[in-house]
Amino acid sequence: MVRAIVLNPSDNVATLIDNGAAAATAVELRGERTGKVALKQDIPFGHKVALAAIAKGADVIKYGKVIGETTAAIQAGEHVHVHNVDSKRGRGDKLKKS
Amino acid sequence: MSDSFLGYRRPDGQVGVRNLIGVMSIMDNVNPVTRAISDNVAGSVPITTLFVRGQYGKDLEMSYNTLAGMGRNPNLAGVVIVGLERTSTNIVADRVRNTGKPVETVLIQELGGTVNATADGIRKAGKMAIAASKLRREKVPVSELILGLECGGSDTTSGLAGNPALGHATDLLIAAGGTAVVTETAEFMGAEEIFAEQAIDERVKKAFLKAVLDHEATAMQSGVDIRGANPVPDNIRGGLTTIEEKALGAMAKAGTTPLVDVLEYSEVPRKKGLHFMAGAAPAVESLTGLAAGGCQLCVFTTGVGNTIGNMIMPTAKISGNINTIRNFPDNIDFDVSDILEKDKAISTAGDELYEYILDIASGTVTTAEALKQQETAISRFGLTI
Repeated sequence: MVRAIVLNPSDNVATLIDNGAAAATAVELRGERTGKVALKQDIPFGHKVALAAIAKGADVIKYGKVIGETTAAIQAGEHVHVHNVDSKRGRGDKLKKS
Repeated sequence: MSDSFLGYRRPDGQVGVRNLIGVMSIMDNVNPVTRAISDNVAGSVPITTLFVRGQYGKDLEMSYNTLAGMGRNPNLAGVVIVGLERTSTNIVADRVRNTGKPVETVLIQELGGTVNATADGIRKAGKMAIAASKLRREKVPVSELILGLECGGSDTTSGLAGNPALGHATDLLIAAGGTAVVTETAEFMGAEEIFAEQAIDERVKKAFLKAVLDHEATAMQSGVDIRGANPVPDNIRGGLTTIEEKALGAMAKAGTTPLVDVLEYSEVPRKKGLHFMAGAAPAVESLTGLAAGGCQLCVFTTGVGNTIGNMIMPTAKISGNINTIRNFPDNIDFDVSDILEKDKAISTAGDELYEYILDIASGTVTTAEALKQQETAISRFGLTI
């Protein structure tokens, strides 16, 4: 069994807490949500999976807070990481301009 | 949920969770005498320091304030302050005396050297230890507690289990009328605007953001860009995508209640509720600021393992990493690995942690105390002259 933990009910990603999750694996959700999500690709321990489709430029939510925005459309079950998410807030360069 | 613990009521109304005699150096050149006195008095702890002599301006004031703050901490029933000469020693002694607790000084120049000073200090601290032993714990409300929040040796499990569980316990403590202090300014970088939304009003929000930007600017003056390289390649391999995510994992330990005020390093909260203290992240220095700021105890989350505690403020290590629980058991106080291993709810682990915090407050000893893994370090910024 491969598990992923959801830290807040409003999150659109879950963090895998088991190793070796391969494409086609059905990951069982834990924490603040139950259910399953089928992986569309390999995702390692500690990395995030999308719980639902996330449009390009939309917020990625973990801990109930925005951790970045997508740079491409993401489907449920896809790996959510630096290849499709960019930092959005809390950047000193952006803060100083505002 | 419990709403009280057993503590020692002090003359100024504060409540201690320990009943120690502090033997404190006023500067580094008297540390051997401080240690010799404490070695010979049961129930005492040595509070040594580095520098002070030759410090000036902001650094000197921060050292004096921090030493005095440690002396005023209600976990100390009495304080013996060791100094070379009268003037500097009395500056700190006077700032502790206003608590009403016994304060004595040991002046090495006036006593004719270290042998006489050690004997004088043992006699004074010994009498204090006997007097303190006559005090008894009494039932006091949780609203008397100030909890320090710290993390170190963090890993993926810190953001998934340790810090969220501590955040839940912090929420319970504050709901019961208590106070918590989160520090380690650098850990907020990248999510400071998110945490700022937790501020109770505009003044606190601005003060918090200023504290983070000032910290960054100070580092920048030395040519160090703290924010630029985060998350580091290790973090990215571990699954952390953005600096916001990394910072959110760390700040989860602060819980969800409003941020009521912003404190300087070693400043004491004047309100109930969640506070932020500006300060460095390394644990010894950070814990010293929390203890000087009146925190009676601290919960310290760790992923891969960190051992250190504070001389006067019990510091409990909690971990959600099953490998650390198995391979590092001597230095871990509380296990929240069931969150990841057995699907225990974060809220359930947090409820249990809250009760454990009250146990420590009532006298349960932490590993850092039992094994004497304790140290003191005060922040400094400039050169000595």
